[in-house]
Amino acid sequence: MSSLVAEALAVAAKDLRTEFRTRVALNALGLFALTTLAAVSYTIGPYRINEADRPFLLSALLWIVILFAALAGLDRIFVKEEESHTAPLLRLSARSHAVWLGKLVFNLGLLAALMVILVPLFTVLMGLPLGLGAGWLVAVLAAGGFALAVTTTIVAAIIARAMTRGALFAVLSLPLLLPLLIFAIQGTAGVAGGEIEIVHQSLRAMISLGGIMTIASAALFPVIWGE
Amino acid sequence: MNQGIRIVFSDLGKRYDQRVIFRGIDGTAEPGSVLVLTGPNGSGKSTLMSILCGLLRPSRGTVQYLDGRGEVARSEWRLHLGVVAPGMSVYEELTARENLRFFARVRGLKHDGASIDRLIERVGLDPERTTPVVGYSTGMRQRLKIAQAILSQPEVLFLDEPGSNLDPAGQDWLEAWVTAFGAEGKTIVLATNDRREMEWGGECVELGR
Repeated sequence: MSSLVAEALAVAAKDLRTEFRTRVALNALGLFALTTLAAVSYTIGPYRINEADRPFLLSALLWIVILFAALAGLDRIFVKEEESHTAPLLRLSARSHAVWLGKLVFNLGLLAALMVILVPLFTVLMGLPLGLGAGWLVAVLAAGGFALAVTTTIVAAIIARAMTRGALFAVLSLPLLLPLLIFAIQGTAGVAGGEIEIVHQSLRAMISLGGIMTIASAALFPVIWGE
Repeated sequence: MNQGIRIVFSDLGKRYDQRVIFRGIDGTAEPGSVLVLTGPNGSGKSTLMSILCGLLRPSRGTVQYLDGRGEVARSEWRLHLGVVAPGMSVYEELTARENLRFFARVRGLKHDGASIDRLIERVGLDPERTTPVVGYSTGMRQRLKIAQAILSQPEVLFLDEPGSNLDPAGQDWLEAWVTAFGAEGKTIVLATNDRREMEWGGECVELGR
């Protein structure tokens, strides 16, 4: 195993260990996801939407819940390191790319845990149809989840280094997350409605976006992190 | 033979927007000696230390790390140094052992459990203690930060008010340890206003004059 990967895994393991001790991000993610899911299923439910509208509307609702739940735990990635004054020692100890990769792995882990709990519940409670089968839904969630994790990880790093965090987050997130969200919703609607061409197109777009964000993040992170 | 690392800085200045923290600072930290940075509160001692260890870039001036072969690249500085400073914390949710294991792993150091435990004992802490650092006193945290700084057996050590929060026995231990560290030919940069700690040093850079 290369030393960079070993260092990155050490960062991810440290974040997981501290998260399991405090459970701040897990609680924030879980609470947000379950509250929104309960509210949506109670007020809308599976039967208040027309059969024809169901794939697209339910897909949009699913990704809105995923997105906002993921954002609820975002400050645990980098902001916590700055606020608890652990960032300087991490900067002096680990290579910047190891930190970025480790934080990305941690963020992916959180997002995967969120999806594993949320998506089956949403599918059952809201009656999301799976015209193409669960396998295609997993593929869309994986591609969308990876692109979402890469994007939110680099945005979290920028926010942590900025003084005006709230405003900056909105400004940065909108152009980066909007195209991804549109393709993720289209892909999920394609799975639900049984339209394989749309799923293929969405998967290609999300994989491309994820790849572009990965390359851009790897290039930019050392500057953002302050090397 | 390892000749240690000299740190040479000249005409250093730092400003945030229009506020000048300091300017025109020169000095040299020699292997085997203690360079003392002193000055009143707010004069920029910690800022200068952050510049010297590579965490901040100066607004003007240069810093060079010189070993027997020439200048050390800035990206390599972190491999040669350890830092103890009030603005740098270890992870409160982890135990002392977990903290040191983590810092060893991200630095690519080969440390087994026994060597980590010996280091914890060396700084006067109990390696068997399984409570997270959040339950430690400020003095115990300071000892753990010192253990973290010497984990990689660095050639350069930056100490920012290292005796703060240590009891008299801890301060005696720190003095003996800094003396021994210097005797091994290591370079020490010490930021302090404590008269006792200032006596450890040779050259002194006074800020805020």
